[in-house]
Amino acid sequence: MQLQKALRALPQECLQPLGLVSIDIPLISNLDVWMNIALIRQYHENQPAPEAADMVRRLLRRFNMESVFNRRNPHLSEEERFCVMLLRAVMVPRSVLIIERPFEILSSHGDSRFLHMALSTVNDLFTKCYIFDYTWQKNKYGLFDGS
Amino acid sequence: MVEPIQYIGRKTIGICSAFSEMLVFSSRVLTRALKRKTYNSATKMVLINQLYFTSVQVLPLFLLISVIFGSLLVGSVFQAIKNLGLAEYLGKILMGSVVTELSPFVTVMLITLRSSSAINTEIAVMKVNKELKTLEAFQIDVIDYLFVPRVVSGILSVVFLSALFSIAVLSSGFLFLNLVFGMSADVYAGDLLNSASFSDILITLLKCVTFGFFITLIPIRQGLTASDELTSIPVSVLKGMVNVFIAMVIIEVLSLIIRFI
Repeated sequence: MQLQKALRALPQECLQPLGLVSIDIPLISNLDVWMNIALIRQYHENQPAPEAADMVRRLLRRFNMESVFNRRNPHLSEEERFCVMLLRAVMVPRSVLIIERPFEILSSHGDSRFLHMALSTVNDLFTKCYIFDYTWQKNKYGLFDGS
Repeated sequence: MVEPIQYIGRKTIGICSAFSEMLVFSSRVLTRALKRKTYNSATKMVLINQLYFTSVQVLPLFLLISVIFGSLLVGSVFQAIKNLGLAEYLGKILMGSVVTELSPFVTVMLITLRSSSAINTEIAVMKVNKELKTLEAFQIDVIDYLFVPRVVSGILSVVFLSALFSIAVLSSGFLFLNLVFGMSADVYAGDLLNSASFSDILITLLKCVTFGFFITLIPIRQGLTASDELTSIPVSVLKGMVNVFIAMVIIEVLSLIIRFI
């Protein structure tokens, strides 16, 4: 009873499915990039593999990363890995996007320009986005908005 | 005096609890494997890949072994029983030894060496790399997505490769007998068909299904016991392979007991 009350008290968006991007939720290493991205739609919506592959190819084209279609996780650059993880997260339908410690993935980036560019490329595919990071990283985000 | 008894007690409890856990895990996987809902686009893709890696990739080597083994085995068996004046029992010996015993055993040995160890390592590596957590985070059931396709592929592979082994051994054996001893196809086929019994074939089929189920399920279960450290992978594979070997012996013994009842 108490649990049900507590659940009702939660903001509605917390009950929505989450699309997670985190260093702790890695890509599956024995799957190609396209399979990693397509997996969620194939599993939850039973989307046929050729259709899922086409969809992934179109999404990778947005980032000019069609060349990584058949690659696996160890052969990706950090930018490619981040974009693939982002695409995988937005495959969760009606998702709230949660990006946790993005600079653990984009470790060579000194600011959030690439992060914002990537998010704006797929902004039609998620409803809301929250970024969680350590407070000592805030200057990396501050550099971008000029404060 | 108390310490050895405590030790035996602890070991017995350990074995019993591991056995009961294995049974619970088996029933969970089996239940899912029988549900139609389990087979979505992602699961089917894994199943096809697993069938390719387990059954198709191994075919050239498997057929070569079967043909060499078949010619030599059938030839030497025939030579030996001919010297003893028992040539009319060739069919019974071939059906009783090659089809019902040797084929499932050779097939299961080959698949265990090649695929069970790979499955065990794969699951352990996924555990260490936190990839199982990834599946959880996206609400993908590991039993449906990872375990069921591997177990189903194991069962199908053992059944089909075992049948193929029997066909290859018997065919190459016939060619050898025909060329060396001049045996005709009618005599050979008649001998085999007269010696085939439905119950033997049914028991062999059940044995293949049981082999296929456990040589994939045990490595999966052992792979899941890996910790977060890389060094736990070889330990998990080692234990998995030993357990698979024990399971193979138990299944073989049980099938022999059933056959003799």
